[in-house]
Amino acid sequence: MSSFSDLKPRAQSRGVPSVATLLTWFMPGAGHFYLGRAGFGILAFVIVQGLYLLGLSLSDGMGFQFLQEELRGTFSPGLAPEAGNLGALIYHVQTYGFGGIDPQPFPAHVVLGSTLTAISGILNVCLMCHAHYEARVSKDAVSGKLTPALPVFLSWLVPGLGHFFMGRRLRGILIFMALVGCLVLGTVLADSSNLSRERHYYYWGGQLMAGLPAMLLQVAWGAKQVVTRIPYAEAGLVFGSVAGLLNILMMIDVYREFLMQNGGEPTEPDPMEDAASKVIGAARILS
Amino acid sequence: MDDLPIHLTLFLILSGVIVLIGTFYSEPDDAKALRAFPKKLVTFFVGCGILAAVILLMEVTVASVK
Repeated sequence: MSSFSDLKPRAQSRGVPSVATLLTWFMPGAGHFYLGRAGFGILAFVIVQGLYLLGLSLSDGMGFQFLQEELRGTFSPGLAPEAGNLGALIYHVQTYGFGGIDPQPFPAHVVLGSTLTAISGILNVCLMCHAHYEARVSKDAVSGKLTPALPVFLSWLVPGLGHFFMGRRLRGILIFMALVGCLVLGTVLADSSNLSRERHYYYWGGQLMAGLPAMLLQVAWGAKQVVTRIPYAEAGLVFGSVAGLLNILMMIDVYREFLMQNGGEPTEPDPMEDAASKVIGAARILS
Repeated sequence: MDDLPIHLTLFLILSGVIVLIGTFYSEPDDAKALRAFPKKLVTFFVGCGILAAVILLMEVTVASVK
């Protein structure tokens, strides 16, 4: 069986990858501090946490009040994209929660504010990806070298762009056509009613995973009023959110693509993963 | 039932997207992925067809509300 002594970083690595990742999840930049990259950590903290705080300021922390009463619960904010920035999410929930007993009007920029907090969560996931990879690269590797975080971020920003960036042009174009086409068709079917976070809180979260196309559609038609019955509104919601959720698979795929083009997994294994696989192996033997 | 063709068309489109992305995810090589796509799409349709048949069967038997 493994012990905590296994969780010490190996001689050649900068730190334990899982520790760097978890630290980043709780506090953007903390994982990079742990890896000895203080400058990058501070920059990441300012950008990611600044985005969240700006979003909180613009929305007066009322983003979670979009959730219908029956959906509100301890873990319900954890299903939003903000969950990627766990420390900020906890602060948000503890400080603002779902509002008081008396309903208050939403501020003018609540949509922009809640979108910024969601984007902060997604950016922090890319940062976690960066910290995890950097922890696995040996110390003597060139600092500032490209990591999979950039193609993963590009993949989120525009579906297929990460693959295009990695030289997989055909795949990138097909992904873009399939996912953005699906998102646009969904918006047409739902007559833009799918683009409102206030109306469809969780579906909106799925759609945001399609990145910039989803945000541009929201800017252009997100404020449209619904005045008549929309026959295929639900089909449109499904199309839009499925497009976003499938893009998560493509973000993982581009990570794999990066590893394939850069000689596979970094040389230093993750002791935490080793420990987990030993536990799973022991459980299998016992069962 | 008037809009059944529209529902089927929408199902075909969304199935195509899901299977294409699923195929890319499971097969890193583009040529192999595109070759495997039609077979995977048919498998997906057959699977969904079986599921739909089971649901309809349940609807008229054990889950009937009549």
